[in-house]
Amino acid sequence: MQATVIKITPAQIYFLNERSLTIELGKEISEANFLKVSLCDQLIHDHPFPGFITTIPAYISLTVVFDPVQVMGNDLIGNTCFEKVSAYLISLNPVATQPQKTASDTIVIPVCYGGNLGPDLDEVAGLHNISSSEVISLHTAAIYTVYMIGFVPGFAYLGGMNASLATPRKATPRAAVPAGSVGIAGLQTGVYPLATPGGWQIIGQTPLKMFDANRAEPSLLKAGDRIKFEAISLDEFNHIKTGD
Amino acid sequence: MRITIVKPGLLSTVQDLGRYHYLPQAVPISGAMDTLSARIANKAVGNPDDAAVIEFTQAGAEFTADTDLLIAYAGGGAILSANDQKLPAGRPCFIPAGTLVKLINDEAGIRTYIAVAAGWDVPEVLGSRSTFLTAGFGGLQGRPLKAGDVLSGCKTLSVINNRILNRLKGDKIQYANWSIERRAFFEATDKIIRVIPGHELGWFTGSSIAGFLSTPYAIAQRSNRMGYHLEGEAIHRTKNNELLSTAVMPGTIQVTGNGSMILLMADCQTTGGYPRIAQVAAVDLPLCAQLKPGDIIYFNAISRHDAEMLYIEREHDLQQLTIAIQSKFY
Repeated sequence: MQATVIKITPAQIYFLNERSLTIELGKEISEANFLKVSLCDQLIHDHPFPGFITTIPAYISLTVVFDPVQVMGNDLIGNTCFEKVSAYLISLNPVATQPQKTASDTIVIPVCYGGNLGPDLDEVAGLHNISSSEVISLHTAAIYTVYMIGFVPGFAYLGGMNASLATPRKATPRAAVPAGSVGIAGLQTGVYPLATPGGWQIIGQTPLKMFDANRAEPSLLKAGDRIKFEAISLDEFNHIKTGD
Repeated sequence: MRITIVKPGLLSTVQDLGRYHYLPQAVPISGAMDTLSARIANKAVGNPDDAAVIEFTQAGAEFTADTDLLIAYAGGGAILSANDQKLPAGRPCFIPAGTLVKLINDEAGIRTYIAVAAGWDVPEVLGSRSTFLTAGFGGLQGRPLKAGDVLSGCKTLSVINNRILNRLKGDKIQYANWSIERRAFFEATDKIIRVIPGHELGWFTGSSIAGFLSTPYAIAQRSNRMGYHLEGEAIHRTKNNELLSTAVMPGTIQVTGNGSMILLMADCQTTGGYPRIAQVAAVDLPLCAQLKPGDIIYFNAISRHDAEMLYIEREHDLQQLTIAIQSKFY
């Protein structure tokens, strides 16, 4: 992949609240804009400032969260935290960075498709006039990019689903969708990390815990990850689930 | 120090000042809704501001002191009563073992915070003791308190905890002759909420923006720790762009598709796709935390610069309070 040069400009930065600001790096969802967000994220993590806490990557924006008391105590230029952090970010030297992730980092998410774990698989297949196994092969063929984590802890917004699988949400949302359920809604596909109400078409379930507050890194996925779904049998599902 | 919950009240959870490091994994900040009251209660017993407190919702909760206690409370919606003796807010109170403590009704506000010397002892999860109900972690087993729950204070009291305790300790209820007044932090009216223009303010019509800044809004029934729905004049858009999901924060005011507004609070999602008309100034979020369904508020615009200055001033004042309390005991 080609090196992209990242330089943060004042026009890209806006105030979110007293302890955060957002850098807007593009206008629409695209691989190019996604790359800018990732590189900008990497740039800031490589050069943190006193009081820096974390970042929140999104489709076209990166939000920088900081501790205002620590920021005010440092010698960055400006009268307020927004001015100080903005000035610092703008002063970061443009660096040509390569994304650190490579194809070999692809995370495999095993999914048991259909049956009780994927009650909407047949409906999705029917809507597209294809067989259930064709839905599975289309869904498992793609490499997906995690654009951002949002909505609920550990929920990954994925890009890269085959457009021929696009399916409207269910007319009536389910009161409870089990954790691990793999769904399709419009052009999106994703995995429910927690049992929540939901209107997505559920085509399968992964035995992996997408989110576990007891892990050092609670979310299995992070923005920038590449993932792939792999079909497994119900036996394999149960085996992984119980061994978890 | 230890208590047993007799009646849990409407919604009682253990909270601290929140969880910031896992925002990129979509873990909300959580923490006390009214961080100012949580900090006042902590300061009054000599704790660091971020010690765990119990957040009670409205009145009705009761607990017994299983051991002697050094506690303080602050907030709204309830007054503490120990063996039928009313306790003043914002002061360290010594409560002897065996005392029954009740939260009795108070008109103003909805959330009361009780701090104990050294902080309530629940395990840290992802760097915080705050309860996040949706995912069921943090606080006491990730859930609201229920009758029979036993909560202990952390074992190791600080020098200042001990000095406050020793000053008040005895065989009867006793409290300090000084207090930290929460209302000293606010203007006479607590119904005007200061806001900073949101990033998508320009997406709304001029008359909607004028209405937003001049007409009353009521807190709707559908309001909880994640956010409040606001009832009032609808907000109309000049363009129907889609906002791509991006980070939001407690205090963000979103406008939904039908023109109604949601004020995000402590347990809010980390990202959102509704355009943002305004951001509540951080210094006024504690006022919002004390609003209950039916309460009427007005919004008043201030600049980003003023909001930041108010924040720094508030932090400075709170820092001075800690110094003042410590100087009483050294």
